[in-house]
Amino acid sequence: MGIAALIAWVLTALGGFVMLGIWVARGGTRRPRRSAFPPGLIFGHFGLAAAGLVLWIVYLVTDSAVLGWVALILLVPVAVLGFTMLVRWIPAYQAGRTPVTAGAKRTARTGGTGLPERAFPVPVVGAHGLLAVATVVLVLLADLGIGGS
Amino acid sequence: MSAGAEQAKRPVSPALAGPYGHPFHPILVTVPIGAWVCSLVFDIASRIVGAPAALAQGSLWLIAIGVVGALAAATIGFLDLIAIPAGTVAFRTGLVHMGLNLAVTAAYAGNFFWRRAGYGGPAPVGLGPLVLSAVSIAVLGVSGFLGGKLAYRYGVRVAGEAVQAEGFRS
Repeated sequence: MGIAALIAWVLTALGGFVMLGIWVARGGTRRPRRSAFPPGLIFGHFGLAAAGLVLWIVYLVTDSAVLGWVALILLVPVAVLGFTMLVRWIPAYQAGRTPVTAGAKRTARTGGTGLPERAFPVPVVGAHGLLAVATVVLVLLADLGIGGS
Repeated sequence: MSAGAEQAKRPVSPALAGPYGHPFHPILVTVPIGAWVCSLVFDIASRIVGAPAALAQGSLWLIAIGVVGALAAATIGFLDLIAIPAGTVAFRTGLVHMGLNLAVTAAYAGNFFWRRAGYGGPAPVGLGPLVLSAVSIAVLGVSGFLGGKLAYRYGVRVAGEAVQAEGFRS
């Protein structure tokens, strides 16, 4: 179960790396800020999730129960920050789907004034969210000792 | 200076990647480099000294410390990679640098499990794991060269020349 959680966690991270890369490339960190994600939100999510993943790897090698629970506790703020971004991303995504003028479309395509997070591919967002939920469940089951090692 | 070069000098997150002119990635990479180089020294020493058990055990610990340190360095290094505009020579160099380092880290993770079976035994480090470590260090050297190129030649995460000039006022 611990290895399954690791695989789910790594796959979730890959999706996160893709979205963070898009967000920065589209000017997410530029000022004045034009993203619905404050830097502390997205980088807090990234930093805590990465720290948790490293802890989980150390837990798998050392089999220290405390580390397994600390990794799960770390996932709580990670999930809260992730859900916050999802809630803020949905209006940006919907705004990108409504009919707009050709000029606005061109601006959105070239990353002009559109929100950086609008460029996230929907399958990546969906897979990231589903794999994240799977990771939390698998980590909890592994910590509880359910399903074997 | 081009806008792309200026962009690559700025941290995407000063809190995680380090403030302007003080990147954290070069600090963090000293942990895996130091641990893995010492691990190889322990490997070789274990085949020379009369009582090699402690050195073989220490080498395994150093490999583990290096892997954890490498993961931390990779996390922060990724933030510096995405600061570089995609499609540029510097970005492609960064991708190769990242790919080689991830391969080296995976090789050390495999090396760890290879050695762990004999952990606590009296034998010196086997020739196979030792050679894998030596090859890994060699690849790490190539990757380190690319990392140096990114910093010292392309100036990624290095302060701009106007800021550098401040240090040369008398």
